[in-house]
Amino acid sequence: MGLPWIVAAAFPGQQRYLLHILVFTGLFASLALSYDLVVGHVGSLSLAHPAFFGIGAYAAALLATEAKWPFVAGLAAAVLAAGAAALLIGVPVFRLAEHSLAIGTLGFAMVTHIVILNWVDFTRGPLCVTSIPRPSIAGLAITTLPAYYWLTLAAFAVAAVLYRALTTFRLGRAFHAVRDNEPLAQAAGINPLKYRMMAFSIGAAVAGGVGALYAHYLTVLCPEELTISLTVTLLVILFLGGVGSLRGIVIGAVLFTALPEVLRVAPTWRLVIYGSLLLAIVIRAPEGLDALFRRRAPR
Amino acid sequence: MALLEIRALTKRFLGVTAVDAVSLAIERGELVSLIGPNGSGKTTLFNCITGYLPSDAGTIAFRGADVTGAPPHRMSRLGIGRTFQLVSVFPRLTVLENLLVFLQQHQEESFFGRLVRSPRLRRLETAAVERARSLLALVGLGEREGMPAGNLSYGQRKLLAFAAALMPDPELILLDEPAAAVNPTMINQMKDHIRMLHAQGKTILLVEHNMEVVMDISQRIVVLDHGQKIAEGTPEAIRRNPDVIEAYFGR
Repeated sequence: MGLPWIVAAAFPGQQRYLLHILVFTGLFASLALSYDLVVGHVGSLSLAHPAFFGIGAYAAALLATEAKWPFVAGLAAAVLAAGAAALLIGVPVFRLAEHSLAIGTLGFAMVTHIVILNWVDFTRGPLCVTSIPRPSIAGLAITTLPAYYWLTLAAFAVAAVLYRALTTFRLGRAFHAVRDNEPLAQAAGINPLKYRMMAFSIGAAVAGGVGALYAHYLTVLCPEELTISLTVTLLVILFLGGVGSLRGIVIGAVLFTALPEVLRVAPTWRLVIYGSLLLAIVIRAPEGLDALFRRRAPR
Repeated sequence: MALLEIRALTKRFLGVTAVDAVSLAIERGELVSLIGPNGSGKTTLFNCITGYLPSDAGTIAFRGADVTGAPPHRMSRLGIGRTFQLVSVFPRLTVLENLLVFLQQHQEESFFGRLVRSPRLRRLETAAVERARSLLALVGLGEREGMPAGNLSYGQRKLLAFAAALMPDPELILLDEPAAAVNPTMINQMKDHIRMLHAQGKTILLVEHNMEVVMDISQRIVVLDHGQKIAEGTPEAIRRNPDVIEAYFGR
């Protein structure tokens, strides 16, 4: 995520487009980090993440358009709404065994999508929420693309710092203990449900915040933003970048947000190249791209 | 007042009574062994005591307080440590972290303190690392502290699991077959460790199949057969008890 003027100098005439890709990269990187708290650190394959992203996005979009809430209040509401939804859904789904957890959370994601699609009076359904205002923070209007780039970068920094703090030291160790060996974690005095819920709801809250930024950036929000294809994108970023690794996820986010765009120069071969690259990574670096860097480091 | 007092504990699995009205009291500082043929309910009893299995009837009291039905993490924090029959470590944590994680839950529960690494917590962490290193040195794993625990050999993992259980300094330690499937040198090492713990005043309940170990170190032996307590006494008395001989060898 280079500085905008460096990018602009390197690609004259393409500044707006490149900045747009960088904003998307920042948003996807933050979203993937929040997802990895659940998948990579407590080892629960939840498929509910698009729902939390969507709940945050719709909360912010509707509060801004219908209730004319200021951006910061809407963002806070989005974070809280998504976090609260995770607490509600988390208690029943974490009683399920591993595989049923994936199905249970997938069910929740689909129900959320269907509700948003069909509750036309409230969400406008397929008509989409339109003319969402660009954000304004303490009187400072974020209307230009570079300004939004900085806002995204700041949001990413917050997500990354939070991710680091949660996944290292004593909290991280407790998460990893639950992931590695649940009965033994209990013998160590850890309540697995509590730590799973912690990762799940904090991850969801961050996803809600990213959803709010996404809605305010695009100014239009449609139900198809929160379908299963978002889960697939996130899983590709996580598993090809490197589950459980900040660096790996950033690499994954840069590659899989920027790459499809860069490949537009060769429209015919675009998907062929993209697919071949996915295959190559899976074969050469099955633990994710991050492992390629780690292997060089001394053991 | 006994440190651990079990009254008429019963556990059934689909009609099979795995633990049948077993009563057992363990005094502070005792070293008691639980023996019995395979399938006699020893591990089931262990799992009921430590909260991994809900019991169907009976009560468990620890330090005089009723703890029947308490979940495993609560039992751990109350001061009951345990090891597992099948060797159990956190494979992706380092050897050192495997020990640290066993102490931290007993110390601090503030989420924000942990998130921002409060100075108090950092001091506790430094002390915990020191304690972990001395335990690793004790079991001979000092050189391996930075290695993922999953890379250790079977015997080393067994020693690591044992050291981890000691990390929070539990008052009562339940050891599930510490001498199973390890070489004779390590069996002697384990025996020495258990004796040392006992000498330090720890209360120990041991499940073990190796009779040499059991007879050698136990003060008292409790024998289970088909879920029932059939005998209880000193190693000498158990050795001569006809019911015990019958349970092991048949009539």
